[in-house]
Amino acid sequence: MALLAPLALLLGLLALPILILYMLKLRRREVEVSSTLLWQMLMRDREANAPWQRLRRNLLLLVQLLVLLALVLALARPFFRVPTIATGTLVVLLDGSASMQATDGGGLATRFEQARAAVRRLIDELSSDGDMALILVGHQPQVLAAATNNKDVLRAALAQAQPSEIPADWDAALALAAGTVRAGQVSDSVVVIISDGGLPPNLPPLPAEVRYLPIGSSADNLAIQALALRATSSGPQLFANVVNYGDADRSVILSISIDGRLTTAEALQVPAGGQQELVLKDLPPNPAVYEARLSLPASAAAGAVLDQLPLDDTAWAVYQPPAAGRVLLISPGNIFLEQVFAALSGSLGLQAFKLKQDQPLPPEPFDLYVFDSILTDTLPTADLLLVNPASSQLFEVGGVFTNTALVRVADNDPLTRFVDWSGVNLLQARRVEVPDWARVLVQAEGGPLVFAGEVGGRRVAVFTFDLHDSDLPLKITYPVLMANLINYLSPAQAFSAPDGLRPGQALTIKPGSGDTAITIQDPHGLRYAAAATEAGVIFADTYALGVYQVLSDQRTLGRFTVNLFEPLESRIRPAPSITVGRVEVPAAAPQAEGQLEIWPGLAGLALALLLLEWWLYHRGATLPAGPGWRGWWQRRKAG
Amino acid sequence: MALFDEKTLRKLDRLALVAAQVRAGQIKGERRSTKRGTSIEFADYRDYTRGDDLRRVDWNVYARLERPYIKLLEEEEDLAVHLLVDTSRSMDYGSAMGAESAEGSAADLNKFGYARRLTAALGYIALAVGDRLTVTALRDSAPVAQFGPARSRAHTLRLLQFLEGLASGGFTNLDAALRTYALGSHRAGLLFLISDLFSPAGYRTGLGQLQGRGYEVAVMHLLAPDELDPPLAGDLRLIDAETGTPQDVTLDGSLRALYRRRVTAWRDEIEGYCLKRRIHFVPVTTSLPWDELVLFHLRQRGLVK
Repeated sequence: MALLAPLALLLGLLALPILILYMLKLRRREVEVSSTLLWQMLMRDREANAPWQRLRRNLLLLVQLLVLLALVLALARPFFRVPTIATGTLVVLLDGSASMQATDGGGLATRFEQARAAVRRLIDELSSDGDMALILVGHQPQVLAAATNNKDVLRAALAQAQPSEIPADWDAALALAAGTVRAGQVSDSVVVIISDGGLPPNLPPLPAEVRYLPIGSSADNLAIQALALRATSSGPQLFANVVNYGDADRSVILSISIDGRLTTAEALQVPAGGQQELVLKDLPPNPAVYEARLSLPASAAAGAVLDQLPLDDTAWAVYQPPAAGRVLLISPGNIFLEQVFAALSGSLGLQAFKLKQDQPLPPEPFDLYVFDSILTDTLPTADLLLVNPASSQLFEVGGVFTNTALVRVADNDPLTRFVDWSGVNLLQARRVEVPDWARVLVQAEGGPLVFAGEVGGRRVAVFTFDLHDSDLPLKITYPVLMANLINYLSPAQAFSAPDGLRPGQALTIKPGSGDTAITIQDPHGLRYAAAATEAGVIFADTYALGVYQVLSDQRTLGRFTVNLFEPLESRIRPAPSITVGRVEVPAAAPQAEGQLEIWPGLAGLALALLLLEWWLYHRGATLPAGPGWRGWWQRRKAG
Repeated sequence: MALFDEKTLRKLDRLALVAAQVRAGQIKGERRSTKRGTSIEFADYRDYTRGDDLRRVDWNVYARLERPYIKLLEEEEDLAVHLLVDTSRSMDYGSAMGAESAEGSAADLNKFGYARRLTAALGYIALAVGDRLTVTALRDSAPVAQFGPARSRAHTLRLLQFLEGLASGGFTNLDAALRTYALGSHRAGLLFLISDLFSPAGYRTGLGQLQGRGYEVAVMHLLAPDELDPPLAGDLRLIDAETGTPQDVTLDGSLRALYRRRVTAWRDEIEGYCLKRRIHFVPVTTSLPWDELVLFHLRQRGLVK
């Protein structure tokens, strides 16, 4: 043991004033007794027997001196030399990745708590001339505390650190550590990596000595490593993949819920180190959220836990039918329509299907029906693009007119943006009385040529002429007009993430026309809002696992999921060594000499003694006629 | 001050003081003596020797045996009873919390009050059986006040008035006071010393001189409960009530225990001394009701019957 501030021992001289004050304050109470004969005899006996008894009587003085001693010693900051991992200038990288939430923390709740305890020990043992920088390695490395010797600052910073649910960015963390070391300009810097070893390969080298403090003990983990949905002609198909990273064969239940309703639960046998797959077919075609969850079979022992890392035991997927893209073209054969859909399917995400005019309509719904020159008796309830139509319940069609000279193309309408009708020649068109719900897009002298509108919950666009009767399909304005119409009839999805996202991955959301604000609600209920811009909104706060909801100010744009699906995190087996640069770093042993200060204990002792002194004084002051605390103690023992 | 009530008085009426060693009597009293005398109670016969009073020859026995025998008759005599009360300042100690009570007896812890009450009781017993009673107050190194000698119950009221008039004060040199008393022209008899024996000069020489003069001595050693187990604690300066001598003590549990042991040892020492010298020793704590002391404890010790 040694002292950090030996000069503080000089404060021990304060004992002198205490002694002097004690002598001054000792004024004896005068009591008259019948005779002091016996007392004189008594004092003679006593002083002859034990001269040191005189000291014992001044218990209060003794306790006060002890209080002073404890305080002075605390101020002198005594410390023990203890073996520690590293000392000097430390840069501590605290792993905050998902795997640190594994529950094999050895008495503590999680690996992260165990790591926190290890850092706390490092702080306690930090030598008086050393300092420490604390970096939490999460999705973005975060400097919790810049290099400092103030243990309180370090402890407060450590207390704020929280583990994340996602993989850590070790490259960035090591770069930050290297920067911290260089900024320190100290040659004896040591980088301490406190982790369970889930580090990616090919990390850059560090300009300092690296020590590795492994955390965790168990490899027992089952993970859902894939959950995907695929649309097939018979409905969506689900694929799930369960991996066993542990050392024992396991049987688990994989439950699939659709929109919160348990749909199926399959028992899977997953061998140690192996995987099992589950494929579900013929699922309902509606948009839905699928949740896959691993659980123990009913035969498992009570109190058994599934595995050490619960984060990867649940996965989510969203089935979004390719609604916007399914187009059914019913035509006797129209090369212009077929070509324009084939061309636009790439950019607009369409899936076009053709149907001969004499075939019946298929039962499954489509998002857009294109009727060319024909109409069925009962119109489908989806959006419609009608080319050269006959009369229907929507509107009446009259005779043919040939006065097709252009009168007007609607201004300021998104459907006619970039539409240039000037060079279009048209042989003839059919006369149609424009219904109330529609607005005319292209008006000729003889009547409307193109109009569109909403009726009965669906959008309808109408060409009143046969495309073969014009040279429109040969003009550049044809695909522009068709793209505008198709966008209007069946708007493209705001975003596309059919397989979900990885944590931290960004998503671009394209708001639809008319949306002014985008709101994203994360699995914890947190809402992120952004103004809708034409370029789209980029959302990157995907740090929580689960289902996110995307809303505009008018409607729900859709949902997407964020899943862990990261073998580096799910493989929780603690690594015996890590490789940084080309150096393999084994687990560090306590080899440096740290300083464990004990002043808090001394300060606590001083407080306890102070309380004792108060109690003694109080007893003496309030019970002068009593038998004294010694007698009280003896009675207590006897009783 | 009513020293005692009618009921206690009647109980005291039936008591008499007993002296085992004292044989002296001057006038006929109500007390049977071991001396043979002139009463009408027959005691024994003995052979006639020359010079015997012819009136005391039993002629009936002479007629039958033709040898003269003297008829011995029992003597009845009185007893000189001396009550010596220590009236020094140290005796006026101990709370007098029961002094005003109607019974006026049981709870009086004050040593001086207790001593006067005890003296009155013993004196009354002596007067009631016709003993010759002398009550003397001791202070400093000499007797300061004296009652008697008196005989007969008629003096009871005077005795009580005398005791009520006594006051405590001054110091005691018990040795000198007892010596002075022994040298005084008193008839030796049964002597009760009622004192706390707090006398720095000691008391043994005085007691020895009294015994040498033929007194049968009984020491009633009075202590208040507060003197046996002092209700004190902390840093104290004890002032001697008589001499004013200060004594600094820091009193805690262990010292109190030591004091208690010391007091017991002191009393044992006195008792041992008295036993050796055939002095009656009666340790009295003033928490003991005085009538219980007289009616029970003194009887038990054979000082009263």
